Amino acid sequence: MKRTRVIAALVATAVTVGGLTACSADSSGGDGKDGPVTITLMETKQIGIDSAKKQIPGFEAEMKKQGRDITVKLIGDVLTDPQFVTKITQQYIAGEAPDVADLGDSMVPGFAGAGYLAPIDDYLADWDGWDHYFPQFKEAMVRQDGKIYALVHDTGVQNFFYRKDLLTEYGVDTTQPATWDDMIARLEEIKAKNGDLPPIVIPAGTAWGGGTWNEGFQPILAGADQDYYSLETGKWDLESKGWLPTFNLYSDLVTKDLLPVQDLENPNPWEPTKYDKFPAGELQVAAQGTWGWKFDWGPDGATPIPDLETKLDTWQYPAMEAGGETYGWSGLGSSYGISENSENKEAAMLLAQYLSSGQPVADQLVASGAAPVRDDIADIKPFADEPKLVQAGKDLQTSLYVPTGDGSEQVAQAVANATEMILQGKANGQQAYDAFVEDATDLLGPSLVK
Amino acid sequence: MTSITGSPTRAAAAPQPAPPGRRRPKRTWPFVLLLLGPGAVLIVVFIVVPALYGAYLSFTNTQLTGFAARDPKFVGIDNYTYLLTSADFLASLGQTGQFVLFSAIIGQTVLGMVAAILLSRPWVRGKGLWGAAVLMPMIVPEVVASLTWASVLSNNSEGTLNRLTGLFGADPTSWLQVVPMVSIIIVNIWRGVAFAMIMFQAALEDVPADLIEAARIDGASAIQIFRHITLPLIRGPVFLYLLLTTISTVGVFGLVYFLTQGGPGGATRLAAIYIYERALQFAQIGIGSAASMILLVLVLILGLVYVRLSKVEV
Amino acid sequence: MTATIPPAVTPQAVAPARKFRRRPLTPVNIVQRVLAYTLLVLMVLFCLVPFAWLVLSSVDGNAGPNVQLPALSFENFIRFFTNEGTPMLLVNSLIIGVCGTALNLVLGVAGGYALARFEFPGRRAFMFSILLIRVIPAPATIVALYLIMVNLKLTNTLFGLILVEAVLQLPVTLWLLKGTIASVPVELEEAAWVDGNSRLQALRRIVLPLIGPGLGAAAMLTFMGIWGDFLTPLVMLQSQELYPLSIGLFRAFSDHNHVDWGLLAASAIVYVAPPAVLYMFVRKNLLKSSLGGAVKG
Repeated sequence: MKRTRVIAALVATAVTVGGLTACSADSSGGDGKDGPVTITLMETKQIGIDSAKKQIPGFEAEMKKQGRDITVKLIGDVLTDPQFVTKITQQYIAGEAPDVADLGDSMVPGFAGAGYLAPIDDYLADWDGWDHYFPQFKEAMVRQDGKIYALVHDTGVQNFFYRKDLLTEYGVDTTQPATWDDMIARLEEIKAKNGDLPPIVIPAGTAWGGGTWNEGFQPILAGADQDYYSLETGKWDLESKGWLPTFNLYSDLVTKDLLPVQDLENPNPWEPTKYDKFPAGELQVAAQGTWGWKFDWGPDGATPIPDLETKLDTWQYPAMEAGGETYGWSGLGSSYGISENSENKEAAMLLAQYLSSGQPVADQLVASGAAPVRDDIADIKPFADEPKLVQAGKDLQTSLYVPTGDGSEQVAQAVANATEMILQGKANGQQAYDAFVEDATDLLGPSLVK
Repeated sequence: MTSITGSPTRAAAAPQPAPPGRRRPKRTWPFVLLLLGPGAVLIVVFIVVPALYGAYLSFTNTQLTGFAARDPKFVGIDNYTYLLTSADFLASLGQTGQFVLFSAIIGQTVLGMVAAILLSRPWVRGKGLWGAAVLMPMIVPEVVASLTWASVLSNNSEGTLNRLTGLFGADPTSWLQVVPMVSIIIVNIWRGVAFAMIMFQAALEDVPADLIEAARIDGASAIQIFRHITLPLIRGPVFLYLLLTTISTVGVFGLVYFLTQGGPGGATRLAAIYIYERALQFAQIGIGSAASMILLVLVLILGLVYVRLSKVEV
Repeated sequence: MTATIPPAVTPQAVAPARKFRRRPLTPVNIVQRVLAYTLLVLMVLFCLVPFAWLVLSSVDGNAGPNVQLPALSFENFIRFFTNEGTPMLLVNSLIIGVCGTALNLVLGVAGGYALARFEFPGRRAFMFSILLIRVIPAPATIVALYLIMVNLKLTNTLFGLILVEAVLQLPVTLWLLKGTIASVPVELEEAAWVDGNSRLQALRRIVLPLIGPGLGAAAMLTFMGIWGDFLTPLVMLQSQELYPLSIGLFRAFSDHNHVDWGLLAASAIVYVAPPAVLYMFVRKNLLKSSLGGAVKG
């Protein structure tokens, strides 16, 4: 790597101690058959750490049966996403990263693009588990250069969770709204009955950070238009047809006083909304992913809602226009990425495959409230016992996903800024869109804009 | 106080024979190397080299993640021209300037001076406690400081400030949305008063009490004494403090970021936040480094101005 | 402006607090004192009121992001201390802080002495550049710093982190100590040399005791700088057993960024305690740090 060489040169003139070898690329191999091998696995969420601890012994035993001596060292480091990205980026640059890392959906394109992760197409082709993956996920995992760099092991479907108990009480129709016009009418009905409180929360504005784009704006945009990013050219189409309607929708929601604007402008806006008002019943609809069943509102979750299986239900995203389809939005969840500098790629791959199959993955899905990316998990207990999760798995068949690449952070920032203007009442949909185009064009730079 | 007598003492020492080993150029270098050497080498390795590398990066379009990371190119001054013509970056510089001027140069200095003067009065009781109270804002971690102020400035009716204004019948205000710049300036003043107080307390100790007493006997008022006697004597420390606080205030990041994320609409996007966004969030480390260099040059210019104004000998 | 104090006076034997008054309290004085105390109270209120939330939340079983009447309980503190690995965080922070500060002071005294006593070419440039380089925000320099540490094989070690932290705080320490040492009259050292002491002995016996105040200020600022740093440990360390408390504070931000307010408040209070204790300890020296010497007019 060029960078490393420049630094080595500078260091050589200033330091007399220490080795100066840049970390050399490894010779791959290390499958445990020729001698003991130790690989490192990094998890940054408590649930992932607990899950990994549970599964590792099974993996090591399984490997022994195959005549491989593999020891797994778990690096369990509870960090927030930005902290994790900062830290592991440095490690990847220096070649010091763990062999296997459990990466979030939004992190993979950046690391894969930069060449920090090893392409795994060959390993997948030789693996019978690969045949069980849903086709749309196999496609979604492919990056700009046609290669696959990380193995997805779970996903969620993003929907609108709503308080079925309260809506029934208010006498509001609980069937799936077909279009956004229907949805807005429904919301206004709820508002009339709930004491004139804003009934819905969708991530918006700058305080929500990257979530405004990932969990708020993009799912709505994708329903109207899937051509806003092209994986082939690697460019963003800021004039694509879906942007303006989405900004207009946000503007509509704000002018009709349906969004909790005050809360959205405070730091940590998910706290008063999803973790306070929604469980308390002062907010009736929330944009939320499958993990809400466990992570957020489950019995062991952040703010449990008792009897949530009866109190809550989900609506899919309404179509933007009449005649369109309703849909769920599926992110790619978490993936296992193998470091390009790993000396034991085979062993690392075996671990990733083990953790993504059968019982191990079924256990993990239940613990984190996620849906599987394969067709052979639905019958495995304890997953089979979770009707909501199984349902989410079925919803996945018809869900939408638009993979993106370089520049998503910049677009997220521009969307956050533009929606903030709407929240503050400083712009309507059109004005916010114009400001967004200007901002995003500047942040992305000419090479990323169509 | 000895500091004032520095010059006369040196003058007095001249006629005496120089003690062995003193002031002979040949003999000083070994000592300098021995004493300052280790520190200097470590500073070079851990501070200077990374800074030089940052300077190098500023002339490239290096990215840390994404496909563009695979092929960094040398782009000369492109990053600099981009930044200097970018409304966003210039705005962030302007906001940083405002921030430094009002919170550090004016706010902290004035309040710190007041605190130092008050605590130098011999008849004040409980100095330690007052001092410790003022110190608390400075030692609390940034995240926590931001969260405490988030609860004070909270825009709903339970926020502390809103409760106070509510006592006077006002409606709850979205402080961070309505007056974002003022809010963070106040937060930073709160945070930095202790530093100023510490520096000025020390400086005030150096002002001979006899002089003040003499002036008082001659009938001068407290304000006159301060302006004509105290101030000129502590001129040096004041400028040193201004230099140090400018440098540290320019680097303030977490305190503001955890509170406003640079918003609303970039109103509080200080230079440090801009650099964080570019370097870490967008992984555009080339541009982030260039922005750092520009910031460095600006602070250097300010520093030279301070030195000039205070006629300080370094 | 020259003073009339003879050069033989040591820096600390000046202006003891007057214990007696030469004239009786006049009404003007009373007004002054009332004003002074009022100002102090206002200032302290300004400084402490925002902490109301922190203190109340730490003993609140049901803490939220706003100030509220607490459901009194110490469970937050209990949870903090019994949380797996938390005492380790505190110990690590203390080790890093104390050792880092100690190393920093040793290098600082040595370097400060050299800078104060010897006028060598490039001294001015050196002084300025080390301070100004600190303007460059960490995100821009952390990449190179980490690479250097990797090449020196110092990553993921407490020693490596202590070394880096000590050095990062060195520029400010050098400035402070250079000024303090410069204000110690050279004659005192010269007298010691005449008595047969070597240069280093004189430094130890004469200069060191006299720069207590400056050392206190430098120690305070350095310790607080190291105590609060979390980016450097985040990047340099891998093993959870080595993490300092500054990172551990973020444990209260669980997955999905849902904050455990009570735990966070309790963690923060524990976090603030050591620097506060250090301040009390150093206060006597701190108040009289003779910074005036840094800037001879």
